[in-house]
Amino acid sequence: MSQKSRDERAQGLRDRLNTELQRLSLDQCVKCTICETSCPVSAVTPLFPGPKFVGPQAERFRDGESVDHSVDYCSSCGTCTVVCPQGVNVAEINSLARAVMKAEDGVPVRDRMITQTVLMGKAMTPVAPIANAVLDNKLARTVMEKVVGVHRGAPMPTARTQSLHTWLKKRPKPTKAPTRGALVYFHGCAGGYFEVDAAKKAIEVLEFLGYEVLVPKQGCCGLAEQSNGLFEQASASVRRLVDQLRKPGTDLTIISTAGSCTGMLKHEAHEILGIHDPELLDVGTRIREISEFLMELYEAGELPTDFKPVNMRLPYHAPCQLKSQGMGTPASDLLRMIPGLEVIDSNVTCCGIAGTYGLKKEKYEIAQAVGKPLFDMVKANNDGLAACDTETCRWQIENSSGVETVHPIVLLHKAYGLS
Amino acid sequence: MSRVVVIGAGLAGLTAALRLARAGQSVTLATKGPGGLQLSQGTIDILGYSPERVTRPLEAIASLPDEHPYASIGADEVAAAVIWLGQQLGPELLTGDPSTNLHLPTAVGALRPTALAQPSMVAGDARSLSAHEQRGAAPRSLSAPEARDAHARSLSAPEERGGVSKGLTYAVVGVRQLKDFPADLIAGNLARTTAPDGTRLAANSAWIDLQARPGEADPSPLTYARSMDDEAFAATFARAVAKAAGKGDVVAVPAVLGIRRRGVWQQVQDIVGRPVCEIPLPPPSVPGLRLYEALLALVRAAGVRFIQGSHVTGFTPDGGRVASVTLAAAGGPRELAADAVVFAPGGFESGALSVDSYGTISEPVFGLPLTATDAGELITEKYWGPHPLFEVGVRVDDAGRPVGERGVAHENLYVAGGIIAGAERWRDKSGDGVAVATAIRAADHITGGAR
Repeated sequence: MSQKSRDERAQGLRDRLNTELQRLSLDQCVKCTICETSCPVSAVTPLFPGPKFVGPQAERFRDGESVDHSVDYCSSCGTCTVVCPQGVNVAEINSLARAVMKAEDGVPVRDRMITQTVLMGKAMTPVAPIANAVLDNKLARTVMEKVVGVHRGAPMPTARTQSLHTWLKKRPKPTKAPTRGALVYFHGCAGGYFEVDAAKKAIEVLEFLGYEVLVPKQGCCGLAEQSNGLFEQASASVRRLVDQLRKPGTDLTIISTAGSCTGMLKHEAHEILGIHDPELLDVGTRIREISEFLMELYEAGELPTDFKPVNMRLPYHAPCQLKSQGMGTPASDLLRMIPGLEVIDSNVTCCGIAGTYGLKKEKYEIAQAVGKPLFDMVKANNDGLAACDTETCRWQIENSSGVETVHPIVLLHKAYGLS
Repeated sequence: MSRVVVIGAGLAGLTAALRLARAGQSVTLATKGPGGLQLSQGTIDILGYSPERVTRPLEAIASLPDEHPYASIGADEVAAAVIWLGQQLGPELLTGDPSTNLHLPTAVGALRPTALAQPSMVAGDARSLSAHEQRGAAPRSLSAPEARDAHARSLSAPEERGGVSKGLTYAVVGVRQLKDFPADLIAGNLARTTAPDGTRLAANSAWIDLQARPGEADPSPLTYARSMDDEAFAATFARAVAKAAGKGDVVAVPAVLGIRRRGVWQQVQDIVGRPVCEIPLPPPSVPGLRLYEALLALVRAAGVRFIQGSHVTGFTPDGGRVASVTLAAAGGPRELAADAVVFAPGGFESGALSVDSYGTISEPVFGLPLTATDAGELITEKYWGPHPLFEVGVRVDDAGRPVGERGVAHENLYVAGGIIAGAERWRDKSGDGVAVATAIRAADHITGGAR
């Protein structure tokens, strides 16, 4: 990229940082330090001095320059905004400040590569056994770390031999006629290519409840690109996805099993990328994370709760990008209704991975330290399974605790007698 | 079983949620931030000034004006509420006696009256040496009323001795890298202080050089506290303190003795070989965080649904009742249906009470009637106050429901904590006791007194 366009891009992002309404929220900061005490990254490393330090404080000094490069060590978990009692958009402002910095300094090839989740899925699915063997190979991972900068110990998804859409085409048509109308299903990149089983089960649960499930062709939400400072690419991705999710109808509820991508559509694309398209806001208000949706049904007295017992202890981790949606932890509430299932909340802020953060060789150790209390908790409290709502967090937990980690819908599927 | 929504995760909200859950209610706790506990000293004040320094807070409650939030509750109920909370948290976290104030050194070397404190703090109580010896360095347990009587007897000792006598000597030890603990200032101020029992205090200061994390220029107290969770680091700290500390009856250190691991204080005291007391620092307050994390863990373990990060912005009425409250979640508003609501949002400091540019005071969520709506006349010239503005809030009935000229605002809406009118809490130091007592009043009215 030429120097001129780089400067222009940086200037464009800086203008947003300086003029957007959320910048006003800086003045509400009373320096109470609550965000600093809640930050999972600064708790384990002095390389990140904390969200207030690089945000509301440093922002006053930026004035045309990126003064504090430690903002690169922010993992974008969003916890600081969640806990701020005064309503300062700490995480949003810091994400924007980091994007400015990356626009000035350039984004490494590695960060451009690991954000291409759909591409990875498309490339790996046809050659799944080979792809998985390569990712399991120590030598290959060492080369990957040296050449690309992805840590050899970092979790990698497992490729499947069949994508969700291939399964949808090949499976027999549902025999039961829908009784509750249609829903749009958003599976995310992981549900489409890597965690096909959870996506299938989500569809089967929704059909079991009487819904017709429409699954439009869909791409990536751009969250990984956004957290790597690639705002233009992220904006293009999320806009494309919004169009795809609106195709089946503009008044249908959209159900998602991709916890963090749901947050992207609900608020992050709007607040961090600065997209104000009515189409995005429309999708953002119609989308429900699947446990959130099922709990809404429950509150309305419309959820069958004649669950079959699932007798086990289940450590459950509510990921940060689910908590940042400000709706509590509906999966935990839902799973608790299954007889015999002893749900143990992790009560840990973050697993460390934060999308692509924990893959990077210079951040891998930090991500592992962030997640350590969670891994210990999972190891100490499981009967062979753990649950978590977001993809990369599941891979991180599974990789670092050795305990198989599934989407909560897998347990609900079982409790409804569907598996 | 009814559905109760508690709004706010400060001391009042957490106490109400725990009390309700213990009574078998289905409770949802909705909060924007984690409340004010981690900005507090990690103690439970009942009444510190009225307006003079209070040594027996329960007795002093009787003479408070009718407008004070305590007036309609009474000393016995306040004591019972605070004791209940202390029992929930256990003696490892809270100790003391609601009828008697401790006088604990602060991070500027003043003496702050408080009723319950963490066991790691009580050795700093400014009394005569003889009283200390009678009581011993070990913290008292907080369970039976007999303990209160026994303690009241022990307090008669200094009064009988009469005259000015030698008080406690503090050996204050700071950590060079920890900027919020000015050991020299603390010692200097303590050394010119007469304790409430008339004894003269003495103090000296010393410093140790100990980094919590290599390469960190400006560590917070929490960084040290997290490091102390590691036994080896705590031992290194204790040995350095033992070596540096001057002569004194009590070794005073910054309140960084562990955040998750209990017993760090005991470990440090054993190595130092003298009574050790923690002095709370400006935020982030490690003792405050200990209370917050412990209370939240109890609340969650009791089955309370916890929703953090969204403001409650309004409600849906149903006749004279609140049918649901509106949560401003990501992606649009969500309704939380409620049979009863406990509103514990704090006061001006948290934005629960707001003053606009015309000086108009309002409560934006429920639009509750307030004791005053014009801030202009209530802000006085004197910086240190008193400021009647901070007494503004909601007036309540005996059940803790907001009342205005037209009676009860909503039949099933209860308030607790800082939003209740009638006290300038930071001045009279009644905020914690008011929070706990009004939270329990609200919870018990909802459950009909059932435990």
